[in-house]
This record gives sequence, C-alpha cells and structure tokens, in this order.
Amino acid sequence: MAYQLAEFPVLTTLLLCCGIGLMAILLIPAEKTRPIKIVSAVFSGLTLAISIYLYAAYDRQLGGFQFVEHVDWIPSLGIAYHNGVDGFALPMLLLTGIVFFTAVLTMWELELRVKEFFALIFLLVAGVFGMFMALDLFFIFVWFDVSLFPMYLLIAIWGSTRKEYGAMKLTLYLLAGSALILPAIVYLVAHSGSMTFDLITLMQGQRFTPGQQRLAFLLLYIGFGILAAVFPFHTWSPVGHVAAPTAVSMIHAGVLMKIGAFGILRVGIFLCPEGWHYWAPLMATLAVCGIVYGVFVGLSQTDLKYVIGYSSVSHMGIVGLGLSTVTVDGVNGAVFQMFAHGIMTALFFSSVGYVYDRTHTKTIADLGGLGRIMPRAASFFIIAALAGIGVPCLASFWGELVVFIACVRTYPVAGVLAIAALAVGALFMLRVVQKTCYGPPVEKFANLPDVSLTMAVPRVILVSVIVLFGLFPGLLFDMIHTATIQLLAG
Amino acid sequence: MLPLIAFGVIMVATRSRHQLSAGIAIGAAGGSLLAAIFLLAWHWHMDQSLVFQTVWMASGRMAVPIGILLDPLSLLMFTVVATISFLVQIYSLGYMAGDPGFGRYYGCLSLFAWAMLSLTLSSSLVQLYIFWELVGLASYLLIGFWFEKFSASEAGKKAFVMTRTGDVAFLLGLVLLWLQLGTLDIPVLTDPAAVGARLSPGMITLGGLLIFGGIIGKSAQFPLLTWLPDAMEGPTPVSALLHSATMVAAGVYLFARLFGFFSLSPTTMGVCLAIGTISMLMASTMAMVARDIKQVWAFSTISQLGFMLMGLGGGSLFAGVFHLTTHAGFKALLFLCAGVLIHHFGTNDMFSIGRRGGRRLKTVMVCLIVGAGALSGLPPLSGFFSKELILGSLLDTGHPIAFLAGLIGAFLTTYYSFRLIFIILFPRKDEAEPAADHPAANAGEFGERAMLGVLGVLASVTVVLGFVEAPLHRFLFQTLATHAPEAGFHEWLPMLAGGLALIAICQAWFEFGRKKAPQIGWVERFPALADLFAQRWYLDRFYRLFLDRFIYGTVSRLFTANDRKVIDGALDTLGLSTIGLGRIMQRLHAAMIQYRLMAMFAAVVGLVIFIGWGG
Repeated sequence: MAYQLAEFPVLTTLLLCCGIGLMAILLIPAEKTRPIKIVSAVFSGLTLAISIYLYAAYDRQLGGFQFVEHVDWIPSLGIAYHNGVDGFALPMLLLTGIVFFTAVLTMWELELRVKEFFALIFLLVAGVFGMFMALDLFFIFVWFDVSLFPMYLLIAIWGSTRKEYGAMKLTLYLLAGSALILPAIVYLVAHSGSMTFDLITLMQGQRFTPGQQRLAFLLLYIGFGILAAVFPFHTWSPVGHVAAPTAVSMIHAGVLMKIGAFGILRVGIFLCPEGWHYWAPLMATLAVCGIVYGVFVGLSQTDLKYVIGYSSVSHMGIVGLGLSTVTVDGVNGAVFQMFAHGIMTALFFSSVGYVYDRTHTKTIADLGGLGRIMPRAASFFIIAALAGIGVPCLASFWGELVVFIACVRTYPVAGVLAIAALAVGALFMLRVVQKTCYGPPVEKFANLPDVSLTMAVPRVILVSVIVLFGLFPGLLFDMIHTATIQLLAG
Repeated sequence: MLPLIAFGVIMVATRSRHQLSAGIAIGAAGGSLLAAIFLLAWHWHMDQSLVFQTVWMASGRMAVPIGILLDPLSLLMFTVVATISFLVQIYSLGYMAGDPGFGRYYGCLSLFAWAMLSLTLSSSLVQLYIFWELVGLASYLLIGFWFEKFSASEAGKKAFVMTRTGDVAFLLGLVLLWLQLGTLDIPVLTDPAAVGARLSPGMITLGGLLIFGGIIGKSAQFPLLTWLPDAMEGPTPVSALLHSATMVAAGVYLFARLFGFFSLSPTTMGVCLAIGTISMLMASTMAMVARDIKQVWAFSTISQLGFMLMGLGGGSLFAGVFHLTTHAGFKALLFLCAGVLIHHFGTNDMFSIGRRGGRRLKTVMVCLIVGAGALSGLPPLSGFFSKELILGSLLDTGHPIAFLAGLIGAFLTTYYSFRLIFIILFPRKDEAEPAADHPAANAGEFGERAMLGVLGVLASVTVVLGFVEAPLHRFLFQTLATHAPEAGFHEWLPMLAGGLALIAICQAWFEFGRKKAPQIGWVERFPALADLFAQRWYLDRFYRLFLDRFIYGTVSRLFTANDRKVIDGALDTLGLSTIGLGRIMQRLHAAMIQYRLMAMFAAVVGLVIFIGWGG
C-alpha cells in the first residue's frame, strides 16, 4: 500500500484553520457580532479551500495514504500524532468543508450569543476533520469525542422544540456508543502483540484471530452505528434534528452521521475484515430494516424536521447496506451515498431552517403555498426532496443505484425490499412537498420575504455540488475506488 | 442537448422575463427538430445502426456507458418527439399567454423535451432508465404546474408515485439482466443469439416481465392506469405533449426498442397482449361516460396505447410503431383542439362547450373532426392505416380473441369520439347555462394565430401520414432483422372495420346528433354500468383505500407507534433505569460537562490500568 509522507503538513494546516478560527472568535468581544461572522466565514472558507486542494492534489494513480504526518507523542504507549488521507477520507473532508462553510453562511442572521455559537461550531468541526484524517486509534477516539461534546450545548442553548430532552437523549446515546468503542479499541490494542495505537501498524502487523475480530467488530459496529443511526439505535437522531438549530442540524445530519459510518469503515472494517465478513448478514438485515422502516415512519410524521430525520435514517440504511455487501461496488456506492446524503440533508435542513426562521412553525399542516410566498426557498426544498427520492442527474441517484446493484447480487431479498422502498420514499417526499410548497398560500405568512441573494449563496453552493456530482459521478467514484480496491485486495 | 441548455438558462436566469424564455425554449426545440430532420435525411438509407459510446461512470465491475444509438427506430421516434414538442411549444405561446409562471413553464417544457429526446437515443438500458426517470420528473413538474390548485398537485404526485411503482419493477428487471448478462447495451440485448446463449428462458421471461412492469406504469396500462386521467390537471398543451409523443409513448417505445428481447419469451408477449387488451377495453368504456372533453381523450390515449401494445404483443413490430407515430400526430391534434375550445369557453365540460357555441369555431371543428376520424380509423386518415395493420397482424398471428376485442375496441372508440363531436356540434338548447368554471382567457391575435397554425399543420400531417406507410416500413426494416411475419392484407378487413365504424357513428348520431336526440348514451340507461365506468371500475377507490387503510393507517402507524413506544421507550427506560440516572440526570442538565469529563477520566484510568495489565 502506498504511503506517502507530506512535504508540507497540509492536514495539520487544515486543523489549525479551525483552531486559529476558534481562537480568533474567542478574542473578539461578544458584542461585535459582525466581525465574528466574517472571521467564521473566512476560516471555514479556508478549510473548504484546503479540502478542495487536497482532493485535487491527491495522486489517484498511486492511491493509498498520502499527505501523511507522523509525530510520536507518547512513545511508551505507542500513541502518535499520525494523520493521512486516502480515497475514503478525502470525499469526507470535502463534504465537511462544504457543509461547514455553508452552515456558517446559513447562520448569518443569528442574533443570540453569536460568539459562543460559532466557537462551538468550530470546535465541533475541528473534531470532525481530525476524526476523518487520524490514523491513530487513540486520536480517532479523542476526535470522535471532541466532535460530540459541543453538540449538547449547541442543541440545549440554541435549539427549539423540547431542546433539553433532545440534547440529553442525543448525548446519552452517543456516550453509550463511545462506551462501546473504547473497550473495543483497547481490546484490539491489547491483543495486537505490540504496544501501538497506530492503525497502519495494526493493519500490517499480525492478524487478529477470527474470534477476536468478531467480538471487536461487533462492538465497533454498534458503537459507531449508533452515530450512523443504524436501526434500531436511530431514535435519537430525529429527536436531535428537531431540537437542533439549523446549522447544527446541517452539520449533524450532513457530517456527524457520516463519522459513524466512517468509523465502522476505518476502524471496524480496516482492522477486522474477518469480523466484517462474519457480521455482514446482520448488517444487511438491520440496514434494510432501517430503509423500509424509515420511509414508513416518515410517512406519518407531522413535523417537517422529523420527516427529514427519518429520511436520513432511511438513507443511512443504504450506506449500511452498501458496506454489508463486502464487495467493491457496495463499498464504493456506500461512500458515494455518504457524500451525497451529506450534501442533500444539509440542503434540506438549510431550506427548512429558513422556512422556520420566517414562519416559526415546522408543523406541516400549518404550512402551504410556499411556492408562491417564497419561490426560491421552495425551489431549494423541492430540489432537496428530488435528490432524496433519487432522481437521476442529482448525486444520490448514483449511490443508490450502485448499492442496489451490488446488493441484489449478494442479498437478493434485501435488494428487492430496498428497491421497493423507493416507491414509498417517493410518496413520502412528494407528500411533504405538496403540503408545504404547493396549494394556496397561507394568509398569515403571505408577506414574508423570500430568500435574499446573500442568504441564497450557501444553498446555491449545495445545489451546484449535488448537480455537479450527479452529472459527473466519476469525479467521486474514481477517488473512492482507489481506496476500495486496496481494502478488498488486502 | 440544446433543450437542456435552454432549461438551465431559463430556470436560473430568465425565469421572470417571459418572452425571452419562450424564445430560447422554442429556439432550442427548433434546433432539435432541424437536427432530427437532418439526421433522418442523412441516414435514410442507412444499412447498419450506429453506436457512439463512452463511459459515464465506472465502479469496479460496473460501468455505466453513455452513448447514442442511431438506427431507424430511434431516428423515427426522435423526429416525432422533436416535431411534436416544437409544435406544442409554439402553440403554448397562445395558450399560456399571461400566465405568471410562463417562464417556468417553458423551462419545464425544455427539460421534458430534452429528457425524451435523449431517451430515444439512449444506447444502453441504464441510460434509458435515467432519462425515463427524468421524463417522469418533468411530467411531475408540468402536471402539477398550477400548484396552487390542490387537485393539480395531487395529480402530479399521483403520476409520479404510480409510475415510480412501475419503475421499481423496471429497475429490478434491469439489475437482474445486468447481473446475468454483464451489459445492458441495447444492441446486445436485442440480439437473440447473444441473449439466448447467456440466459435461461425463465430468466428471460422474468426479466421481460419486470421491465414490462415499468412500461405498465409509464404507459398507464392496467392496473396502473388511473394517474393518466388525473394528469389532465396540467395545462392542455402539456397534456398534448404527454399523451402523444413523450411520457406515455416512452413505454411503448421501450417495448419496441427491446422488441427483440421481449419476443424471445412467449409468456411475456402473452402478458403484454392481455394487458393491452384489458386496458384498451376498460379505458374505452370509461371514455363513453366522461363529460370532460380532456378526460375523453385521456381515456382514449390509454386505450390506444393498449392497442399499440396489442399490436406489439401480437408480434408485429411495425404495426405497433406505426400506430405510435400516427397516434402521436392525431392525439396531439385532438388535445390542442380541445385546448382551443377550453381556452375559448373557459370550461372543460363538453355539453357546456356545445351550448356556448363550440360549432362557431369552424377551423377548430374541422380539425377536431379530422382528428376524431383518424382516431376512429376512418379512411383515408392516418389512423385507418395503422389500425388495420394491427388488426390484420392480430388475425395473422392467431389471436382470435384479441382480434375480436380489437374490433369491439374500435367500435367503442368511434362511438365515443363521435359522441363528443355531436354533443359539441348539436347542443341541446333547453338546459340552463351554468356559470363558467374559470373566465375565458384572451390570447391576443398573435397567440390565436399561433394556435390555429399549429392545428392546421397537425391536421394536414394526420391526413398525409397514412400514405407513407410503405416507405416507412422499408426504412424501419433496413437494419432491424424482422422477427415477426408481417401482416398480410385482408380485403375484407377494411370493409369490416369501416362498417363497424359507420354503425358506431350512426348510433352516436342517433343518441346525440339528431334533432331532439335525448343526448343520453345507451350506457347511461344502465345505471350500474354507467356508475362502474364513471368510477373508473373502482380502481381509484381501491388505491385510495389501500393507501389510507394499509399504508398510512396500518403499516405507517404501527411502525411509528413501535418507534415511539417500543424502541424508543425501551431504550429510554433501559438506559435510565439500569444506570439509575433517572432523577440525577435531570438535575445534571447544566452539569453535563462535568459528568462527561468524569466519564472520560474514568475511561482513561480504566484504559491505563488495562494496558498496564496487558503489557
């Protein structure tokens, strides 16, 4: 496997952008909200620029881990500051950059405790970036926790609708997840025969016995799976989404849920391929349950954000299904779907957030005629819904297609069920679109302003990304593929 | 590709500037039409089909190619689609004048045209599926165009979901074939030798049936036919486009495209024949009692599509394709005529149109009669030739029942078309005039002229098209190997069909046309039967009930209850009670960080101890 050291520590720079941004925000007095927002936008824009650079500069011929940085930290415990990216991590970094930047722009109109809000967001995203690039189990775990803990405050302070309950529930669930992950990591390290937390060394060192792999994989799968909203550990996610403020929902659904799936992939599958094979049927079953279950429960929701929350459960089921096939195509499709879903839900939540900010309601029955009142906002919402249905030429279509094909090959029954859920999925998305965007305008909202040009910027970025990767899926698939073949060949 | 660019430009930039948007869209459609005619002329004597292909997306063993397949079938369809969409766009200048969503309308029309044009040229089944979905998307947007009306948005949703249901089967069939064959290139799929060598007969049947499921949804065949009448909620030009050359025709086109594949499995062909027959008869009966002028044409579309599928299922490729072509012409004509009437009188009810003097619009009435005549298969109009061909081929290939059904269908078709015409031409004066549904719009002189001009063109096409049967036949079969015996000519067949049509006209005249006619059809004398037909054989009710009771009422509710109570409840209780944090947690809201740090600290201590032991 290729393993290329970085000449310049780009990855650390990326992290430093978050760190410096955080510092800068903390230094600015809390009353000066405008400079805070500008600083946030600049630094989040910088992270986006760096992740685009990384994506473009990665050598696809070579594959493997590139831009690697390695500094020993606690040699006696084998813990090192070790970063590197491959074809799995890069799309995730890009996703994080895009969602981060757009989320910051979406919150441009925030008034309440601006300083604290952006500071926490920066901390959260730093954890996410770190998690995606870390190659050391200890750091993976630390970053994982760093990205979780600001969530509680973000939801509890800036949220709405039963925010304390949502925040508490989310935190407890995720805490339970990390309570499973830590023992698994420790267990693996303890049985590795050498004292190291290093992912690469563990992979290349002696293999764990099948029994060890099965145990560790199961723990990791459930632990990370809670974050990826794997059925039946998904109930925290809709509740959390509903309670969270817009930008947090965007980052949460767009990126945090991907951390879960990425964790399964990076730690679980990389270290315990045997366990992966062993538990694959279980994964497929749970994934299909999630897909079918998500669309049906989504059908009967009355709150806009609950609907999107359950659609996320369903879409993340597709990711799980792809991973469970243990094939090149399945993994490719799963990672693609992670990316596509991230962008799509970010767009979803940002549209809903806009509507909520103006109308102060998320109850579907109270809304109507948005297409007339705020045509731009409605257009963004409809595009997101169409992407959710999996309309071709929008990004998520490709992820779904590839996963389904891989799945029918491996698990025919599961594949058929998942494809059949498509029709129900269409029904459930279009029902929401119809109830909110179509119909005669609701009178009390009739004079609300449409999305202004500045507020449209983040949404336009998201839409362009969806369309770009919908028209040219190869841009992403080629990248993912470099990592997948090495994973399955090794 | 031109219309796609037009779509992008209009949606992003010029949505608010109406004239400019229309200009761009029509320009793009005109460009496509020119390209189509050029290609058609260029390849008139082509001896083999041309394929240009490149890889769109590759992932492991899968590769999605994108390409263009030029052969007579795709060229013919391409030309038909380009022509109809061009004409419809011009027509819309008048029809949609003054609508606040004018720009959006042209944007969607362009998307529609692009998707359908690309569909016809697709070189592989995956690509076809992609555009198939896009066609569905565009029709969703257009049917629900007047989205403030509940019925319109409902109809759009219904159309999308129902066709999507069919597409589930299509996608499954596609995946199945992909896994079995390793490729979905249309030339390979239609090559009997290649398919036969790699697939078992059972597989072929299964794949064929699944793909046929998609066709049922798209072409609104039984049992997924109820979305089409509802789709009348869209603007009338859209209905014309939808019914003649694009959306529903896509299904029949797919069948024709894969004719070589379908014909390998007798079961599939049989099912196709049966479904076609059932839909045709069912829809004709529905049309007999409809009052809404557009509804009548909608039912007639279903029945004519069924007729095409009968022709194809009966084993004659040319008969089906030829009827598809002629039907595209005259159905567009009929809808656009109806559009003028509706536009002019502000109502969809044909009785009301008649009373307000529909007969005074001379040009429109002539066109309407020409169209209805073609629909009924009267000589020398285009429908006559294609209908005879289908009936003849059914007889030849030994499907007497289907042949009989075809005759009955033809009879019913003539009956309801002329019922409509007589109702408009000879209204009963003694009924009170209801108020107009919506105020009659005024399109302005230019708009009127555009609309009438298009009608004229389509009417003349309808008259002429029948006579190009022979050259078209030659053109189509230059490269396609014929799988089916071609229909023989039966001296007595035109006589029989013509006679039947005459009887039907007479009956319609007797009931609706003559002076003091009761204007009550024979069907309406049997209330039960009329009710059955008017309720669309209760299919709609059934779906509604199914959705309400089963999907929303049972599955969805149970799952939700399960989610709230069982899963969530259990995990909540489990979490809180076992750890014994129930009450403490509430007090710890604000102290959450400490708790968290404590947990992390404990974890780290545990880690160190554990490693200390391990190492």
